[in-house]
Amino acid sequence: MNEQLARDLECAIATDPRTHELGIHLQVRGEHLVVSGEVASEERRDMVLDVIREHDTGLEIADHIMLSAEPGPGGPGHERIVPPPSS
Amino acid sequence: MPEPIRVAAVGDVHLADDLRGRYAPLLEGISAEADALLVAGDLTQHGTIDEAKAFADEFDAADVPVLTVLGNHDYHSGEEREIAQLLEERGMTVLEGTSTTIETRAGRLGVAGVKGFCLGFSGRSAADFGEPQMKAFTGHGIETAVVLRRALDDLAGEAPDVTVALSHFAPVDDTLLGEPKEIWPFLGNYRLGEAIDEAGVDLAVHGHAHAGREKGLTPAGVPVRNVAQPVIQAAFRVYDVVPRRSA
Ligand SMILES: [Fe+2]
Ligand SMILES: [Fe+2]
Repeated sequence: MNEQLARDLECAIATDPRTHELGIHLQVRGEHLVVSGEVASEERRDMVLDVIREHDTGLEIADHIMLSAEPGPGGPGHERIVPPPSS
Repeated sequence: MPEPIRVAAVGDVHLADDLRGRYAPLLEGISAEADALLVAGDLTQHGTIDEAKAFADEFDAADVPVLTVLGNHDYHSGEEREIAQLLEERGMTVLEGTSTTIETRAGRLGVAGVKGFCLGFSGRSAADFGEPQMKAFTGHGIETAVVLRRALDDLAGEAPDVTVALSHFAPVDDTLLGEPKEIWPFLGNYRLGEAIDEAGVDLAVHGHAHAGREKGLTPAGVPVRNVAQPVIQAAFRVYDVVPRRSA
């Protein structure tokens, strides 16, 4: 599998109605197809991997996808925004 | 110094059924922290009505006014009007080249909102030239900034104590750092930043750039915040915006 195929497959992941994930990146490393980027849930990770498996890449899929940090409880970050001194 | 108006914001929650339950528990009682909650587009993953219902169910939990713009994902299924209508029926405000005001204990908050569009940034932007397809692309980018400017001008007539510009696409490139430079023209639009600078805004809030960074400034020095959920990694941020002293 060459670079162009990797880009085509990224495009497929962006446009497939099951995924529409625009932030997935693919790289070929030896016999491995490294899948990186961030998705919001395990279901979305599985869908991305399903779409890739449907294409016969002949490579071992290395799943390096990160799950977005789930927003947790705890106080929200406050930031004070002060107007500039009037001129 | 006057009390601040507390503006909570998040973007790019990309809701669908698989994320139900993720936001509601964190939005309950938000009135203790904020006076309004702004959502900077990409409310849904594929722009379907079912996903919009999941968004509405989650964000209904907020006990402050919820003001949104739509994002490109919310347009994907061609159901953006129905989505906006559903959210309005659920008591939320969808801004599309429009503005609204909210009375808070610290004064009047004015928010003008627009989805925005691609175009790029000064010196590296798409030009309104050549094929009709290119003109349509750039024309939409330019139009969206004109629409934002008009909404901000209308809002000025309401004399808000704090003015916020809400968009999905980025008005500056500061907040895109971390995104590959090749795609910056698809992430934002410098004309939105010009509209913000010309109209006089206290804070600009946007999303869309999931791999960007939170903080930036317009050329004239207006604070810009990218609140894409993967950037802020929280259910929302709160900006405590101090009103300008009345002249
Ligand atoms: Fe997004
Ligand atoms: Fe987006």
